[in-house]
Amino acid sequence: MRFTRRSFLGTAAAAAGSTAILTAMGRPAFAQETRIRHFWWGNPDRDERTLEAIRIFNEKHPDIEVIGETLGFADYFTRLTTQIAGGNMPDAIQMGYGVMFEYIERGALLPLDEYIGNQLDLTHIDQSAIDAGTVDGKLYALSIGANSHMAMYNKRLYEEAGIVPGEDFDPYGWTYDDVKRIGVAIKEATGVAGTDDNTADYQNFSDFAAQAGGELYTAEGEYGPTQEMVEQYWTIWKDIRDAGATPPAQHSAGLAAVSELSRMGVVTGDSATTYLWSNQLVGVQALMEDELGAAMYPNLPEMIPGSIIQPSQFICLSRDTVDAEATVTYMNAFVNDMDMTAALGLERGIPANSQVREMLQPTLEGAAATSVEFFDNIQGKTMELHPPQPSGANEVEQTFERIAVGVLLEQQSIPDAAADFIRQAEAILRRAS
Amino acid sequence: MEKFLRKNAPAYVFLAPWLVGFFLLSIFPILASLYLSFTEYDVVQPPEWIGLENYQYMFEFDYRFWKSLQVTFTFVVVSVPLKLAFALAVAMLLDKGIRAVGWYRALFYLPSILGGSIAVAILWRQLFDYNGVINSVLRFFGGDGPYWLSDPRYSLWTLVVLAVWQFGSPMLIFLAGLRAIPQDLYEAAEIDAASPMRKFFAITVPLLAPVIFFNLVLQMIEAFKSFSGAFIISGGSGAPLDSLLFFTVYLFNEAFSFFRMGYASALGWVLLVIIAAFTAIAFWTSKYWVHYENERG
Repeated sequence: MRFTRRSFLGTAAAAAGSTAILTAMGRPAFAQETRIRHFWWGNPDRDERTLEAIRIFNEKHPDIEVIGETLGFADYFTRLTTQIAGGNMPDAIQMGYGVMFEYIERGALLPLDEYIGNQLDLTHIDQSAIDAGTVDGKLYALSIGANSHMAMYNKRLYEEAGIVPGEDFDPYGWTYDDVKRIGVAIKEATGVAGTDDNTADYQNFSDFAAQAGGELYTAEGEYGPTQEMVEQYWTIWKDIRDAGATPPAQHSAGLAAVSELSRMGVVTGDSATTYLWSNQLVGVQALMEDELGAAMYPNLPEMIPGSIIQPSQFICLSRDTVDAEATVTYMNAFVNDMDMTAALGLERGIPANSQVREMLQPTLEGAAATSVEFFDNIQGKTMELHPPQPSGANEVEQTFERIAVGVLLEQQSIPDAAADFIRQAEAILRRAS
Repeated sequence: MEKFLRKNAPAYVFLAPWLVGFFLLSIFPILASLYLSFTEYDVVQPPEWIGLENYQYMFEFDYRFWKSLQVTFTFVVVSVPLKLAFALAVAMLLDKGIRAVGWYRALFYLPSILGGSIAVAILWRQLFDYNGVINSVLRFFGGDGPYWLSDPRYSLWTLVVLAVWQFGSPMLIFLAGLRAIPQDLYEAAEIDAASPMRKFFAITVPLLAPVIFFNLVLQMIEAFKSFSGAFIISGGSGAPLDSLLFFTVYLFNEAFSFFRMGYASALGWVLLVIIAAFTAIAFWTSKYWVHYENERG
């Protein structure tokens, strides 16, 4: 009943034409009470910014009402899975680079191609960001910020140990040997461990695998890294640990797969360097008093690029949307509208819209300015985007973390653990495909 | 028939909300999960019938399934007797007629009310953190506490302690049971100069047996299903080294992290069968040690 009334009014409005000014991207002006839901995982800072952006949108588009829903990362995908099963996914959902492909492959997201040029304006969006959201030639996702791996270090502790960035190490090209040397120096000078122990950090391992000449997944969707690479990676960190540059192994074991920023080594004061995503710098800085510096993940002496620049998050159109056009209108504003993007800032990473970047540039200070500087400096030092991950990649990651904890606690020798991991990774991928 | 309706219709009207809830929220999901356990179902795509494959994979190939059973059995076998012993001990203390008994009862029951809550699990994580309260106290007395939560040798025991701490509800039931034991039996034993130990084993335990049995079955089922503590403390994954991989945590992971809802349903049914079997065993053994007053012996 409501639908007929709405379409009727819509047609009438279009015919009248005079009210076209009020329409948002060609939507009928009188179609009221279109209520769409936007769901994201966040933190208090992000939630505040996003809700502010929604408020601006609702003010500018009286015909669409956007409702924000947010959860912590740990519970986000559980809720989403439940909603998929119930057929009531929110209209616009936030996705991460890794897990998104699994959702696309299973058909939970809708492509956006038919809206390009209508509700969706891609004129100023970087081509690399568009490519990152494209699968099999169809655009599924709008990037809401570029991201890369970043080592965040406590400037005060580095200073106290007499370590000068640029002189004692190159923040954009340091090696694992540097990490060990600096880590030990900081431990000796300050009593604080110089670096977190990344034995169980899959992000770090994925960079390492590329630096060592492998890719995480082959084009056929098979597991790329060899047993030797895994052994080498764990041996490097064991060496750093044995030199005394990290917190005790048992402490690091408790942090495997932990995602809360408040439990990271730089924040708790257990270490001077923590390895995270670059968009998290703003959030981590907000939790501490000492100023943070930014560096790339360490490398092997050959300096083969291993980090990638990838979208931190996407905004996507869900299969269960109640009104695709209204939702795409909102998604479009989320990446293009100057007022909304100003409210969002750099919290989700560097925006993919060049005009938005220009607008934000002069307003940046502190951690946000550090992020932009970091991005300028890593250009040309990163590798190409990986092909989409196969199904099961998520489980492989968890398996790596679990077995690495066994390495930390010395329950298994490194060669045994590495062989065990490769065997399980292959079995998981076989079962998932 | 008409008379029956006239007589009972109001009752059914009042029962309706419950009946609707029972069929919609209990019976239907149970049947649905039984069906799903024979399918491959990734939530997004429609389920696909694969017969017994889920069960076959579980028993033949899934070493984490066996690991999760081992963790859960250890937890049940250790935590349930400890919890019951503790509950009975406190109940007997409270039964001695100390002052302000109501206040103590409420205080001891409080952890059980908070029991399954996420807040308690988070609190527990902070208490047992390496830099948490427990280790601070140990350090004050000159000891050095271990990494309770990230060392697989200790992690399960922190959850056993958490379970024992929630002894409130079996304690209340024990308390009621103790009150029902006729005092003259103790007085008679007193005259015969029986030791407190003797009184406990000759009077308290046999007369309390039905209550002990009731608590045992209830707590055993609860322990098999225990979830939130392990989920929160292990960050959802059963870490470290699967030492907290409770059956329910594993099931949750399969369902919600890896999109294997069909397999998770199969796991759920296996858990149901296990609980039913253990309950049946408990009932079967009970005829050898539980005697009811109305029985003629």
